[in-house]
Amino acid sequence: MTTYVFSFVFPFLLATALLQSLAALSGRNLRGWGPTLVFGLIGAGVVLFPVDGLPLARWLISFNANFSIPLTAILFFRVVRVSFGIRLLDEKALLICWIFAITAGAALYPMALGLTRLDPYAAGWGFSWLFVLMFSFTMVLLAIKNRFAVILMAAILAFNLRLLESTNLWDYLVDPLLVVVSCIGLGCRVRRRAQGARHGGGARREA
Amino acid sequence: MHRRLVIILLLATIGLYAWPAYQWVSTDIRDSGRFVADPVPASITPDAPLIHKEFISPDSGEGIVHVASICELSQGRLAAAWYGGTREGARDVSIFFSAKGPGDAASWSRPKKVVDRMSASKDLCRYIKKVGNPVLFSGPGERLWLVYVTIAVGGWSGSSLNVTWSDDSGTTWGKSRRLTLSPFFNVSELARNRPLPMSDSGFAVPIYHECLGYFPEILWLQTGLTDPDIRFKKSRMTGGQSFMQPSVVPFGPSEAIAFYRSLSNEKTIGMAVTTDAGSTWSEPETLSLPNPDAGLDALLLSDQLILLAFNDSPVNRETLSLAVSHDRGVHWTRIAILESATGREFSYPYMIRTQDGHIHLVYTWDRKRIKHVIFNEAWIEAQIKGTMP
Repeated sequence: MTTYVFSFVFPFLLATALLQSLAALSGRNLRGWGPTLVFGLIGAGVVLFPVDGLPLARWLISFNANFSIPLTAILFFRVVRVSFGIRLLDEKALLICWIFAITAGAALYPMALGLTRLDPYAAGWGFSWLFVLMFSFTMVLLAIKNRFAVILMAAILAFNLRLLESTNLWDYLVDPLLVVVSCIGLGCRVRRRAQGARHGGGARREA
Repeated sequence: MHRRLVIILLLATIGLYAWPAYQWVSTDIRDSGRFVADPVPASITPDAPLIHKEFISPDSGEGIVHVASICELSQGRLAAAWYGGTREGARDVSIFFSAKGPGDAASWSRPKKVVDRMSASKDLCRYIKKVGNPVLFSGPGERLWLVYVTIAVGGWSGSSLNVTWSDDSGTTWGKSRRLTLSPFFNVSELARNRPLPMSDSGFAVPIYHECLGYFPEILWLQTGLTDPDIRFKKSRMTGGQSFMQPSVVPFGPSEAIAFYRSLSNEKTIGMAVTTDAGSTWSEPETLSLPNPDAGLDALLLSDQLILLAFNDSPVNRETLSLAVSHDRGVHWTRIAILESATGREFSYPYMIRTQDGHIHLVYTWDRKRIKHVIFNEAWIEAQIKGTMP
């Protein structure tokens, strides 16, 4: 039951974020409890709306039942940022998130799909090197006060509570959509830095 | 972050990871299990050679039937499952179930639809485009298990596995549960072959991956007697793109041989060995027997004899034969041709041995019917000696 209820969270956040994006196009002020409540209610209505006997959210789940906790968290933080102007995840945490997702995806998917005889996905079923690695990584991130550690804590908490349909830790940490989002996020960041460096360099030359 | 908060989070992290560590140590579903060798009855009365052939399903007419599996229920009864519809992979494909009373003379019940895409969609609360590949097996107690494939998008490479069960010999079935077995949208996992009982009351279900790679895997399924909840994990037998649909024959608690359907250019059956109850498998070798990229099944008989049902051709499924090996798969002797007809298909054999010592083979008969062949070891011995036609 918990898993079923939680399966509505990502679609709900996605619907709310899309509504916020649509509303932003009209130039309206989206901040505050009022707009957030309206978007939340409309978002809830959208994901619960039955299509062919299934709530719309479950149609999304039909194609991917395990949206990872970092992806869900990023979407949640985006909705909070647009609603209240609060940045719960700073740039440093986002950067670590992008790098983590791309690295995990690059290691996991080719091997899980048969590139090698080794299957790292098997490490996610029960206590293994993956748990030790993630524990150590989380501790290091906490030690350097990187907020992505809190998301990784949420992932292991969700795993313990079996909030996703999967019983494999990998699915709580990364999913294909997160890898795509991370590639785009990291690409944009690199582009911004490159543009900044160009403009900065140009300014120096002019000076 | 404030220093005190960091310390609290560090302690919380230790607690969060301590829980799965404790869970895994206390309830390991894999390492405690050992193979239970096929239940070869201790003393079977020497019988006269026996072979009996019958059809389970009626003629499918314009449609098809495929991928049959069979298992023994209590008191010598049998149950079988397969899929049927207008064509393979069609949306109207359903999974059918039939049972048979004790004794060879009893007839199979009228096939009953147990899963279709609508019922699977309702159970799993998601869109299901089509269903396929049922594998039926009986568990501890009276429970009957059915592992089957569902597809939401695409063809067989879009397959996911699901499990349901029945506590009344197939009359009613529990709510299906989806098994997440792949990190990539949980697709490309299929089942086809006979599960092996494990010493910890679980099952080793041979499965396979079919997407960019084609390779055999084992689904370790742990089931409770009363608790409908199940625990599972999977492990890979080998990688690559050459073998799938493993048929596993256990020789003891830790030893087993797997025979693979071949997708390689060699067009011969593959074989691998485990000596640690399926945790690791040897590199696949190829046998001298052909394989036209088709399913096969192997069964352990008395005196370590392996019986193999296979399509005896590298190019088609027109001939279904039996072969035996006395030396764990190194050398093979063909003992019978069960079916042979040009332009027809006899495929996907699936065998069990029941408590009375009889061997039950079911297979796809020209995609029109599911055929059931019953024979005993006396018949096999007679075939080996060449005393039976």
